[in-house]
Amino acid sequence: MNSDYFSDAARHPMIRRLRSITDIPRVELDALMDVKMKVVEIDADIDIVREGERPTQCVLLLEGYACRYKLLDFGKRQILAFHITGDLPDLQSYHLEVMDHSLCTLSPAKVAFLSHQTIDYIITTYPKLAAALWRSTLVDASIFRQWIAGVGRRLAHERIAHLICELVVRHRAVGLAQDFRFNFPVTQAELGDATGLSVVHVNRVVRDLRSMGLITLAGGYVAVRDWARLKKTARFDASYLHVRGGEP
Amino acid sequence: MTLLTFRPVRIATGSEDEDGCLVFNEDHLIAVLVRLSDLHGDAEGKWFLEAAFGHLDHTARPSFDSLDEAKSWIGSQIEA
Repeated sequence: MNSDYFSDAARHPMIRRLRSITDIPRVELDALMDVKMKVVEIDADIDIVREGERPTQCVLLLEGYACRYKLLDFGKRQILAFHITGDLPDLQSYHLEVMDHSLCTLSPAKVAFLSHQTIDYIITTYPKLAAALWRSTLVDASIFRQWIAGVGRRLAHERIAHLICELVVRHRAVGLAQDFRFNFPVTQAELGDATGLSVVHVNRVVRDLRSMGLITLAGGYVAVRDWARLKKTARFDASYLHVRGGEP
Repeated sequence: MTLLTFRPVRIATGSEDEDGCLVFNEDHLIAVLVRLSDLHGDAEGKWFLEAAFGHLDHTARPSFDSLDEAKSWIGSQIEA
């Protein structure tokens, strides 16, 4: 691998991600460093795996953005989740043979593929890593629950503010938003597909959040200007992300 | 045959997008269109389907270059 891609555990995206949600002993981290992975660079807006396919490997996102989505009638798309560095967005395919949704890149990305055989080896050999991967999918499910509540019941401003709060905490957990500024290569149309809003409504809300002095969104980055008020606007409580150390 | 009529109205969208019109099919309100302001960049001046009722409510939320274009699209959706 990959040991030549990331020279130490502290820089390994998957290790940073898993350690942000649970403890893993050193010996098991070292074992993960030795795992063979195929690293591939992928352009933006490319499907990595599609609904109905039967993957034999899982994806680790090393750099860039990806999303899970479903296509609906009338050309509509619902984005189900955003994924960032260190995430394993289709880990469920190890157990659930047929993809029930699709996964695509939103920006140029660097991904590593872990074969199901490799995952099988990891979870049958290293119990803490197995628990960490299980915990990771449970956290994914917790995030889905929040998104359902958001799309179903939150106001437009709350939905977008909440999503930005979530991404602040997730980026910080893997060391990518220490100054409350993070990479956000998401178009307003994609933001609409994620929050169940039209592009017009997204545009109005983003403008309002900016004029309220809460965020700026430009050049593929979000900068949070007033974290306390953004959280209040979103009615955000980070406990559903189960990040060790809690929210900033 | 549908009989669509448009009635100008001011809409409190909470933004500069205020000029709109109510779209009636005979005496039934079926859609609300709003003219997009310069807040929306290249889409300025287009007519956005702000709200829709009945059959129209199942569609995406398109924008139209003109009220005539909106009228023919709404008509086609109702008759579909």
